[in-house]
Amino acid sequence: MRKFYLIGFALLLFFDTLGQTSFKLTANSAEPLEASIEWLVRVFTQPWVYIAIIGYIGAFFTWMTLLKKAPVGPAFAASHLEVITVMLVSIWIFNEQITLFRLIGAALIVIGIIFLAFAERNIQQQHGNDAE
Amino acid sequence: MMSSLVIILWVLNIFFDTIGQIAFKYAAISPSNRDGYYYWIDLLRNYWLWIGIGSYLAEFMLWLGFLTLVPLSQGILLGSINIIVIMVVGRLLFKELLTRDRIIGMLFITAGVIFVGVS
Repeated sequence: MRKFYLIGFALLLFFDTLGQTSFKLTANSAEPLEASIEWLVRVFTQPWVYIAIIGYIGAFFTWMTLLKKAPVGPAFAASHLEVITVMLVSIWIFNEQITLFRLIGAALIVIGIIFLAFAERNIQQQHGNDAE
Repeated sequence: MMSSLVIILWVLNIFFDTIGQIAFKYAAISPSNRDGYYYWIDLLRNYWLWIGIGSYLAEFMLWLGFLTLVPLSQGILLGSINIIVIMVVGRLLFKELLTRDRIIGMLFITAGVIFVGVS
């Protein structure tokens, strides 16, 4: 059971990160941004946009499978902690500089996500008790 | 600092993401006591489903535009504000609970997004 969650959450993070990275690669390939047919053609005639779509579809089905069994608190956290993996990939693939302000912001957001995950878990338990 | 076009794209992104999630929620809870095949027919006839799909398609293009203009690390952090917007709308429309932990979590995320936004 433990293995099911670990693989499930890892797969979810992988698909989310793959999706966002491919989104950024799509955006870069289709530059310059403009409200025109030409831009749409540039978006849909290079491979990254389709990998982004595969990432979204993969994340959707992983999430649906996880939701059937996983406790809601950790599931909530795992579905949003992609911010960490995407940041790491941004530094690695896109050579982005992480400023001190951005690092503080990221830390605050992660703390917030953990609080919300605990809130989800507690609300779930409360509902469980009410039902009994 | 972010340019006005970036802010417009960001706000529109959050707007369509929220509309999409609400529409899917309405589609999911709409009364339907049919089984199997008929459940799917009912679902496809539900206009909330199509509002949701349309919103997600709009969001797809808006997110592409947004990511053209901001670094990915910043974009993904700014995007996390949708957690809060959806929670607030959930409170208003579906009477979902706002517990102490939820409010603390929302405040942390809001503060974090502000830090990232001004960076």
